[in-house]
Amino acid sequence: MSCVAPSAPSRAEILSLFRSLLRTAQKFSDYNIREYAKRRAIDGFRLNRDVSDPSMASWAYSEGKSQLEVAKRQAVVYSLYAPKVKSVMDVKSR
Amino acid sequence: MAFRAAMLRHIRVPVQNLTLKRPILQSWSFGNPTQSMSSHGDDHLDREEVIERVLSVIKDFPKVDPSKVTPDVHFQKDLGLDSLDTVEIVMALEEEFKLEIPDKEADKIDSCPLAIEYIVSHPMAG
Repeated sequence: MSCVAPSAPSRAEILSLFRSLLRTAQKFSDYNIREYAKRRAIDGFRLNRDVSDPSMASWAYSEGKSQLEVAKRQAVVYSLYAPKVKSVMDVKSR
Repeated sequence: MAFRAAMLRHIRVPVQNLTLKRPILQSWSFGNPTQSMSSHGDDHLDREEVIERVLSVIKDFPKVDPSKVTPDVHFQKDLGLDSLDTVEIVMALEEEFKLEIPDKEADKIDSCPLAIEYIVSHPMAG
């Protein structure tokens, strides 16, 4: 995947990937995993914020894409084993 | 052991009650006969309420100085946020108002007035 066409992803594509990752993060039923996935997405994009090299940017982008697929799959898997009692953090925040 | 089980059962009850009594569920209030179910009717949120809730979401954002937040701030020009922060704020607004804003629309929202306008005119905002 990552070895094809190292053209830099556009700004809109990057923001769209970021949004998709955050959306997928919200789908996790477990509070800790949900917060981790959100934190990880934010940190990852912050870390690569100043990447200017097109091939590095496209590598980071395809890495993000594959992580998004992992997150989507895992959200489904974890939903099958969702905790029966909500985390106390979920109860308080409502 | 029996005591422990009894205690656990005892402790868990109020937690479940809490989740059932969430104000969010009540605010949907589909049973309210005075509200119409049409997608573009009078069941919109109050403009004042939207402004208040939008501002409180933005003020809660860690990088924002709450004293700078007014109903007409621009996220990047006035609050010093970047495009990633803007995405995060729009996501937080989606969560607050139980919306899903499509990418095309979400990309356009880069200031408080636009966010308020979008949410006020959105039929499903809750």
